[in-house]
Amino acid sequence: GRIPSSFPLTQTVKRSVVLHNQRLTAVFLCRRVTMRGASTGIVYGGLKYQARSIADVKADTDHTSFLAGTLSLKEENEVHLIRLSPPGSELVCEGLFYHPNEIWDLKSCPFNPRIFSTVYTSGETYGASVWQIPELNSQSNAPQLEHLISLNEHSFKIKCVLWWPSGKHDKLISIDEGNLFLWSIDTSNKMAKVISQESVGMLHNLSGGAWDPHDRNAVAGICDSSLEFWDLRTMKKTSSIEQAHARDVDYNPKKQHLLVTAEDVSGIRLWDLRRPKCPVKELPGHAHWTWAVRHNPEYDELILSAGTDSTVNLWLAHPPGANDSIPVDSPKRPKDSLLNSYTDYEDSVYGLAWSTREPSVFASLSYDGRVVVESVKSYIRRK
Amino acid sequence: MLWIRILLRDSKDLHTDSCPHVQKLNLEGLLQKHVEMAAEIKNLDTDLQIMKNNIVGMEANMEQLLAKITSVQSKSDLVNTSLFEKREHIEKLHRTRNLLRKVQFIYDLPTRLAKCIKAEAYADAVRFFIGSKPIFEAYGDSSFQDCKRASEEAIDLVIKNLEAKIYSDSEPIEARAEAVVLLKQLNFPVVDDLNSILIADNFVASCQVDSLKTKLLEKLEDYLMTLQDEHKETGASALDTLETRVIWEDVTLMDEVLAEAALPAFSLEAARSIIRQFISTSFSHLLLEVSEALTKSQPMPKKGSEESSLQNALEGSKKVVIQGSLDLLLEFRQLLDDNLELLAKLRDLIVDWVQEGFQGFFQKLDERFLALCGKGYIANPDSSVIDAIQVDKVQTGLVLVLAQLSVFIEQIAIPRIMEEIAASFSGGGARGYEHGPAFVPGEICRIFRSAGERFLLLYINMKTQKISILLKKRFTTPNWIKHKEPREVHMFVDLLLQELEAVGIEVRQILPQGLVRRHRHSDSTGSTNSSRSNATREDKLTRTNTQRVRSQFLESHLAKLFEQKMEIFTKVQYTQESVISTIIKFCLKSLQEFVRLQTFNRSGFQQIQLDIEFLKNPLKEFVDDDAAIDFLLKEVIGAAHERCLDPIPLEAPILDKLISTKISKSREESQRYNKLTKPKELFVCSERRL
Repeated sequence: GRIPSSFPLTQTVKRSVVLHNQRLTAVFLCRRVTMRGASTGIVYGGLKYQARSIADVKADTDHTSFLAGTLSLKEENEVHLIRLSPPGSELVCEGLFYHPNEIWDLKSCPFNPRIFSTVYTSGETYGASVWQIPELNSQSNAPQLEHLISLNEHSFKIKCVLWWPSGKHDKLISIDEGNLFLWSIDTSNKMAKVISQESVGMLHNLSGGAWDPHDRNAVAGICDSSLEFWDLRTMKKTSSIEQAHARDVDYNPKKQHLLVTAEDVSGIRLWDLRRPKCPVKELPGHAHWTWAVRHNPEYDELILSAGTDSTVNLWLAHPPGANDSIPVDSPKRPKDSLLNSYTDYEDSVYGLAWSTREPSVFASLSYDGRVVVESVKSYIRRK
Repeated sequence: MLWIRILLRDSKDLHTDSCPHVQKLNLEGLLQKHVEMAAEIKNLDTDLQIMKNNIVGMEANMEQLLAKITSVQSKSDLVNTSLFEKREHIEKLHRTRNLLRKVQFIYDLPTRLAKCIKAEAYADAVRFFIGSKPIFEAYGDSSFQDCKRASEEAIDLVIKNLEAKIYSDSEPIEARAEAVVLLKQLNFPVVDDLNSILIADNFVASCQVDSLKTKLLEKLEDYLMTLQDEHKETGASALDTLETRVIWEDVTLMDEVLAEAALPAFSLEAARSIIRQFISTSFSHLLLEVSEALTKSQPMPKKGSEESSLQNALEGSKKVVIQGSLDLLLEFRQLLDDNLELLAKLRDLIVDWVQEGFQGFFQKLDERFLALCGKGYIANPDSSVIDAIQVDKVQTGLVLVLAQLSVFIEQIAIPRIMEEIAASFSGGGARGYEHGPAFVPGEICRIFRSAGERFLLLYINMKTQKISILLKKRFTTPNWIKHKEPREVHMFVDLLLQELEAVGIEVRQILPQGLVRRHRHSDSTGSTNSSRSNATREDKLTRTNTQRVRSQFLESHLAKLFEQKMEIFTKVQYTQESVISTIIKFCLKSLQEFVRLQTFNRSGFQQIQLDIEFLKNPLKEFVDDDAAIDFLLKEVIGAAHERCLDPIPLEAPILDKLISTKISKSREESQRYNKLTKPKELFVCSERRL
């Protein structure tokens, strides 16, 4: 049966729930972190295994919710639908679903809150699928994820799936180590077919990408030591940024041509695609690798980064052109700076997601499976 | 006839006027009048006759006179013609006399020159000689042969004397300059002598100055004259005292201005710009020297002297920075000490410029350093021309040199220069107090402190990235799920150790040794306890060896629950140990991250276990922070364990055997390579094998 939301579960109780393999929609213990004093984050301890992927459920306009998927080689993996309770004080598990394999990438559909995609591996096999969350109100004790589409044209290890970030679009992109696929999908009929495909050749190794929110024909792909850009109509390369060993890339949601990269050594770099020769800005990033980087969906000068030094950093980085009228040495000119460093993590942080509904809120996921939701409201007010 | 007409008229008038009388007078009266008039007319007629006779007489006389004049004239012409020939003759004689005089001059020239030499009137001698030159040129070979030879001998003597004059230091400079000019007039080759050129140039310059002066004064004179004229004009036309007074005042004012302002101001302005330029070029020259010192002695790969080349670069550039700056200061101080009146006026300005110069110099130096590291776009983001230096072509050694040089500038050079400036370039303040002093050592120190940290981090990043690429290749190439049973320690450990060795060579040249402290954990914040407990636990584990690996994992997981995370990312210090250990920590963390991205079968896991176990001891030779290394190595094995489908570790005896095989093998190899080749080529070979 359903466990009432006020019921406090201890770690052992949780474990026993899983061990008995009861497919339950459980509500896990939420707590305010007081361990290190300074931290204000709301922690969700529901993920029992290691995890890398977390996504904002953008299409859910009624709630601030996130989807997180686990990465366990041997145990049964899960996808958690996590919701920030209305006063913003608790993280509630709205749904727990078993996922057949360990999840390396998870993206939420931008126009349907119940649809999401995952990239997974199991030993030597790999795959990418689009799933639908079952009706939560149903009386079923064991809600199963409905498998909608399999993106099974890949011959290399799949790296990520991209949805067009700015609304309803019937296309999907999937990226594996050697190819870029453009799919036409029909979720209601559970149909997907490849429209076009581009191979980057044996010399390159794709590891990720981003879809330009300002132009549904433009996509960026992360190669070994460069960032490549394609036009999806022709599937031809349009430009590239050399000397960028990127782990992650994110387009500026407000201004076209601008994007940010996270790199192992160079930290965070901001680029203007019209001048790809050298970065517009550099931010130090993290003590070790900078793994993920995201613009705030509303305040594009706020940039969030996650690193393998077990921290999440909040940066204020004014895009070029914003303050050009103010002289460089004037004290009035806003400086780029590290606004805050969130250190309440025990392991590398790989997952990072701003909430679209509540842009002052972000969720982060460290490798040990801890989801921490923080509010940056004080920094927004200050500027 | 005229008279008659007049008379007639008069009579007529008389008639008409006396018309009323005509009726009154009687005929008798009229007759009477007629008689009188007739008599009168008769008289007049006689007079006229007499006069006519007189005039005819005069005419005759005139004719006589004319005849006489004509005769006189003809006689004088006659005389003139007779004298003409004589005059011509006289003129001819005169010309001949002049020629004879010239000839006499030529004949006398040698004696004259001798006299001049005796009197040391070389200027006259030269003038005489040059004057007679055309004649010698025309007739020197015929009529005046002897004369020419004699005077040439004399002029040779003159030249000799003049030369002596130039080289004699006892002579006043004007005399020497004059000598140079004279020699030049004689077309004597004096150009090869620098000193004389200098003297001549000085002289010429002073001549130019003189001529400029004259011209200027002439202009002024002219102007004053016109003013005077105007004054006169106005004075003549309107005697307005007020106006003349105004003009007078103008003139006196002009007199004052002329004396004090006009000329000195111009020369002051000229001196100002020249000194300013001098100072700025001095600084840009120094900037160039510094970057040359840095790049010239950049380590050339494949050269035997690599061991010390970085050190040379550092020492060389240090010297250029400090010595160059002090030399500049000395030069500028001489400028102030010259005690020229003009410079004294500029003193404050010079002080400001020197201070500004240093401020700008160090700011530019910082930008230059960045550009040398291929990061020029940070200092100058708007420049469309991106420095040709690409990040991947930058020599890592150079970055390390820059880091240490920045520290040197911050800690040694700036305080020293500040002292020097305080001693001889204080004051200034022509900029106004609200701007404060031009040279702000605090700001420069701050710039170089952060620059030093940035370069040190950049060095670490560059090295880490290089190793990271090596590790990436290692982990993405094999299929870890189908890995075969480990037979030996993998090659990549050799490459890793070689890279670290290379780092060691570089840092040992540049950075000082840190205090040797084992367990240096007070540096890291807040994790003292955890890392100590880690160390002791690890010591125990190595003793009991790997049979308890499984329990070790459990232990580490448990430990993780209670411990706070290890503070491995501590602040880097400018010591050999700190830099190397930071690089190693970063690499081990990267290793862990790479492992986490793979899935291993049992053999794959065992291979990782073997490689890491092997690395343990060699890594500890590089660093003093054993605990951190142990912790991170354990994390790598832990990560592999997590990502392994069947994590059963290697048996301890097999592990030990494989490791000892590797140790003896690498010892053998290193011996062989030491005999045959340089270590650099070992790297190349092993890379090929990879």
